[in-house]
Amino acid sequence: MNEIRIDQHLDLKGVPCPLNFVKTKLTLEGMEAGSILEVVLDDGEPIINVTASVKEEGHQILKVEKTSEYWKLIIKKV
Amino acid sequence: MQKKNYTDAELQELRTGGIIKQKQKDYFILRTRIPGGHLKADILKKYSVIAKKYGRDYVHVSTRQGIEIPWIHIKNIPGLLKGFKKLGILRGACGPRSRNLIACPGSSVCRFGFVDTEQLAKKLDRVAFGKDVPKKFKVAISGCLNSCAKPQENDLGFQTQGEPSVDLSKCIGCTLCAKVCEKVCSRGKRESAIIMDENKRPIYRKENCFFEGDCIRVCPVNAWKIKKIGFAVYIGGKVGRFPKFGEKIADFVDGKKIPKIIENTVRCYNRIAEKGERFGEALGRQDLETIKKEIL
Repeated sequence: MNEIRIDQHLDLKGVPCPLNFVKTKLTLEGMEAGSILEVVLDDGEPIINVTASVKEEGHQILKVEKTSEYWKLIIKKV
Repeated sequence: MQKKNYTDAELQELRTGGIIKQKQKDYFILRTRIPGGHLKADILKKYSVIAKKYGRDYVHVSTRQGIEIPWIHIKNIPGLLKGFKKLGILRGACGPRSRNLIACPGSSVCRFGFVDTEQLAKKLDRVAFGKDVPKKFKVAISGCLNSCAKPQENDLGFQTQGEPSVDLSKCIGCTLCAKVCEKVCSRGKRESAIIMDENKRPIYRKENCFFEGDCIRVCPVNAWKIKKIGFAVYIGGKVGRFPKFGEKIADFVDGKKIPKIIENTVRCYNRIAEKGERFGEALGRQDLETIKKEIL
């Protein structure tokens, strides 16, 4: 597998909905189009809601990965 | 008699729908309807003008998505009713007639909605509203299984269902679809409709599906898409003193059939119910299979 180059990393462990999405959105707003953000999210509502909301905002989701008890979401800013 | 000063024409206006006597002498509530609850902001302003000028500077927002203007003196009613049409205000119903059709916000804004309930409600108002019936008759449309418009509590309710399908060539194996599905299905006491195979590819088992589209919403790469939209039909729901949920008589009914189903149900209600009886009460004496055939 070819590695994805991560431009920015956001650790949202323990951050509840909808604050986790707000932080993701704000971070994406500060990034260049085409750059890649990696977000770490809790299991349950956070990974489900943030994934759906990021998609609705029009960004491209490259990868969704479970790592032990957390989820990694890799987003390409549109 | 308190009404001796009013003309026949004025009294006739009071007998038709949407004018409700207050407990205070000579004062009435003007009930209006808003099909589906979608109201242009300009028309909303006109309510405000009427409430200020003829009422007591407030309105009551009903649970049936109507606006009621209280404290209207009887002498102002004929004039106000004449002006309603030009203002874009629609009269509501009371007495033995079918009521305002209610709906949720719908797919134009809601992330869960499968259909544009605003357009649907506007179209259906003509067949659903103001029909003569034994007691009252209420129709509701919900754009998804959240049931925000409470179709199960109405005499006739439509609940939109969406059947998903998956394009495995797009799937990235994230397993989120199975995760959201498991959550819904376990609440609904069913086995999951989506399970992952050993290669982390989803397998869809339609027989377990609640058709609410969580998999479509969560899928990060749009591998899950909507395949078919239809309506579950509920009949005989009511609240009041003796509440009961409507009975589901069909799944995935085509949207084009809704006007006919409303007409059939109103006719059926008039046929089977006694005066003053609700549809759900009359249904208790009927064979449901026969009724289904009559309505669908």
